Amino acid sequence: MRRIVITGMGGICALGHNASDIWQAMAEGRSGIGPVHHIDAKYLRASAAIAAEVSDFDPLKYIDAARLPFLDPLSQHALVAAGEAIRQSGLPLDHERAPRTAVVVGVGAAGEETREGLYQKLYGEQASRFHPLGIVRIMSNAPASQISMTHGITGPTFTVSSACASSNHAFAQAALMIRAGLVDAAVAGGAEACITLGILRAWEAMRVLAPDTCRPFSANRRGLVLGEGSAMFVLETLESAQARGATILAELAGVGMSADAGDIAAPSDVGAAAAMRIALQDAGMQPADIDYINAHGTGTVANDCTETRAIHNVFGKHARRLAVTSTKPMHGHALGAAGALELIAVVGALRNGIVPPTLNYLGPDPACDLDYVPHEARAMTVRAALSNSFAFGGLNAVVALRRAP
Amino acid sequence: MSNVQQEVFEIISKQAKIGMETIKPESTLKDLGVASLDAIEVIFDIEEHFNINLPNEEVDFENGTVGHLTGAVERQLAQKPANG
Repeated sequence: MRRIVITGMGGICALGHNASDIWQAMAEGRSGIGPVHHIDAKYLRASAAIAAEVSDFDPLKYIDAARLPFLDPLSQHALVAAGEAIRQSGLPLDHERAPRTAVVVGVGAAGEETREGLYQKLYGEQASRFHPLGIVRIMSNAPASQISMTHGITGPTFTVSSACASSNHAFAQAALMIRAGLVDAAVAGGAEACITLGILRAWEAMRVLAPDTCRPFSANRRGLVLGEGSAMFVLETLESAQARGATILAELAGVGMSADAGDIAAPSDVGAAAAMRIALQDAGMQPADIDYINAHGTGTVANDCTETRAIHNVFGKHARRLAVTSTKPMHGHALGAAGALELIAVVGALRNGIVPPTLNYLGPDPACDLDYVPHEARAMTVRAALSNSFAFGGLNAVVALRRAP
Repeated sequence: MSNVQQEVFEIISKQAKIGMETIKPESTLKDLGVASLDAIEVIFDIEEHFNINLPNEEVDFENGTVGHLTGAVERQLAQKPANG
């Protein structure tokens, strides 16, 4: 079987506009959550007024002015992350490689800022004209297409959408295409630009937004905090990376996917455990091989105890030896981009021997009894790790990573 | 039974598809088989019906009773201006 490695990594989120700044913030335990400032305060309510927004971002530093009118922030984020990942990997996208390279992007929502802006004009102001670039900015495949166009990648290119598991499903699709021999490399990750009034209010209406902050696995946790951004990775075969002399950041060793076939919103420990188990199996790993789990850890009452139960179920006695952290208090819950941003944490942990902490922890919840590495990062050897994503709709996707061979 | 309680029970009964007589002030929504998004929908229906906002602190999906919910509705109604 072809082994798959990561040779490039890029990102943008509330913690920074490149992957190394994001990792630095994670290792230092800094939070990007703050008062929402991209929406007029008069529309905000106390229960939906914080988020982890991309701030001080000037797209013109990264993107051609001529191209910008075509891009919702969703695609802007994706292009920034993909550009960084491709540059770092040094993957030559020449006429031989371009058709043998895929682009797979996880997107949970779509071009929401554009959509809301246009609908405001249509419904609110009864505008008679609709902007002609609405469709190409809003469509959820826009980030994948824009990456392909910018870098001349002509292999299979598409968006994967499974809400909060989109990124991990995207990694799985990319990895499976490489393994199957359909392509030799892929740009894979996730993108989201979801801090809009409509999206905030829709999440608030489900009563899952925390009014204070995101406190995964903690007593008195009150819900999630939305985030946004993108992270992209260059995946290629180990053989190709070694032949090119590329720096290998980590090995993407396995993927596991499952569906709860249960509730549209309430998570299931059975479905979550199945995805973790399949990822381990696919990677040829035993539970004891794993040192770190980057948890889905949204900070909702339901997710965190369900995920804890699932980890116990899969890891047995080894569960207590694992470091299990949620980085969502730092970058927020970036929905379709969540798994990709979290992979920056996992790659960082594998490479640097530092596990980013779970911030905002107030004290133990009896239903959450693992080692969540509260408050401060921990220096420890991480041989292999899992990254969990569990979506509304009962869709679970887990990736297993190993240190670079 | 107060009018507010009567109306709250009717909304729950409709959502849970259960008879009014099975709903007691001491029942929790969970007891009545109203969980997850169904419970959130019940709260939304109540908010729409009375034109009020029930803050998260007033809504305990785990242990909150229907009686408590009725009380919360009454408190919100009392805070509302008479012509609001």
